[in-house]
Amino acid sequence: MKRSDRITGIILLTAAALVLGSRFVRHRTHGSVGEIRVNGTVVATVDLTSDEPQTLHIEGLVGPLVIVADGQGSIRVTESTCPDQICVHTLPARSPGDQIICVPNRMVITIQGNGTQIDAVAQ
Amino acid sequence: MERKKVILAVIILAIIGAGVASIAARHSSPQPVSSTYFLMDTVLTVTTTGGNAASINEQLHALASHVEDMTSFYKTGSETALVNAAAGKGPVAVSPEYASLLRTAAAVEDIDHGKTFDLAISPVSSLWGFTTKNFRVPDAKEISDALAYSHADQLVISDTTAQLRDPRARIDLGGIAKGYSLDVMEQYLATVKPQPKQVVVNFGGNLLLYSGGRKTNWKVGIQDPRGAGIIGYVTTGDAFVATSGDYERYFEKDGKRYCHIINPSTGYPCSLNQSVTLITTIEPMHGAYGDALGKSFFCSTAQRQRSLFDAVRSQGVVGAVIVDATGTVFTLGPIALTQESRP
Repeated sequence: MKRSDRITGIILLTAAALVLGSRFVRHRTHGSVGEIRVNGTVVATVDLTSDEPQTLHIEGLVGPLVIVADGQGSIRVTESTCPDQICVHTLPARSPGDQIICVPNRMVITIQGNGTQIDAVAQ
Repeated sequence: MERKKVILAVIILAIIGAGVASIAARHSSPQPVSSTYFLMDTVLTVTTTGGNAASINEQLHALASHVEDMTSFYKTGSETALVNAAAGKGPVAVSPEYASLLRTAAAVEDIDHGKTFDLAISPVSSLWGFTTKNFRVPDAKEISDALAYSHADQLVISDTTAQLRDPRARIDLGGIAKGYSLDVMEQYLATVKPQPKQVVVNFGGNLLLYSGGRKTNWKVGIQDPRGAGIIGYVTTGDAFVATSGDYERYFEKDGKRYCHIINPSTGYPCSLNQSVTLITTIEPMHGAYGDALGKSFFCSTAQRQRSLFDAVRSQGVVGAVIVDATGTVFTLGPIALTQESRP
């Protein structure tokens, strides 16, 4: 194999690796945003890639909710004024498509992004 | 040697070309439109890509509202409310649609003679407070008294009528109505023009994955019933996916968890499993069937789940992912749970 052939080969392989790699990186960097809606309107978005724990006080339809992002990629409802406490029972959300719902407060937290290419979460 | 080099170059160029083409395709493809609606005491989330997405989402919501108006335990004027109000008095006229839904429920009840799924268990659920949200642990006597009139044989169905024999008997279609809503939505999606590229419907734990049969690699994450995120995912073609779990709708008393799915043979909340996810094929009434059947699996032991699966696998049940009470995960049928490292 000639030296020039080798160089051409290396260039082509590098280009191929870059194209495939860039797709992979795109998927990895997306995701990890918690979107909080009340009555269909986005009231807050939380960056779940942040290392800082965050506490949010959200006003729902029947009363206040306390939402905590733990600084490790998960978000959960810790307090709510609703009667059945389903939102407080719901396990912390962290995967794209995960939802935490409070029906009485009309509040939905959804994890955005396609980082794992999951189409839907059965929960 | 020359030939090998040419082949190698062609392969590499093809990889680059495919990569560039797929990125270009993604940039030009229609964006998903997501809508969220509150009904049936839960949330309906519709995400449509392609077609008249916003109008499709609205239409699917309207169809779910229609099912709620027909089946609701709480809404006065629903067919369920009319049947319950006439308990002990005689047959009530019902729509062909409602009669057909009752027959689908009865078909699931019959598999196990009402031991693991029963529309008529409603009076016992009410004792536990799941209808009023005033949760309490009833005493054993209350439960055995209520069980006497809370069994499938209380409900007599004909093509045009339904009747509850005991005046205290009640039915609640909460365990099948969401799955049935997905059936109605799928029928609409199959005929709508122009066809959307894909639609994901999540209705309180019941999923409809629709692409007109074009997509064969839907990835469905399975919620970890005791922790954050998912325990893995399964890959499927277009399907209905029904999940029953003990991890959202429950209350705790003296350190014990009581979930909302009542075992019809004991009158106590099911405690054999943490979650059951059942996948059924896209065929008429399979959304309803999977929803109800999921409760049956949820109230069954592992051994019983296997025989139940053998009984229904020829009827459009693709597979199941089960997390039992000890947290052990297993699958039934030709599906595999793919573990995924968390991002």
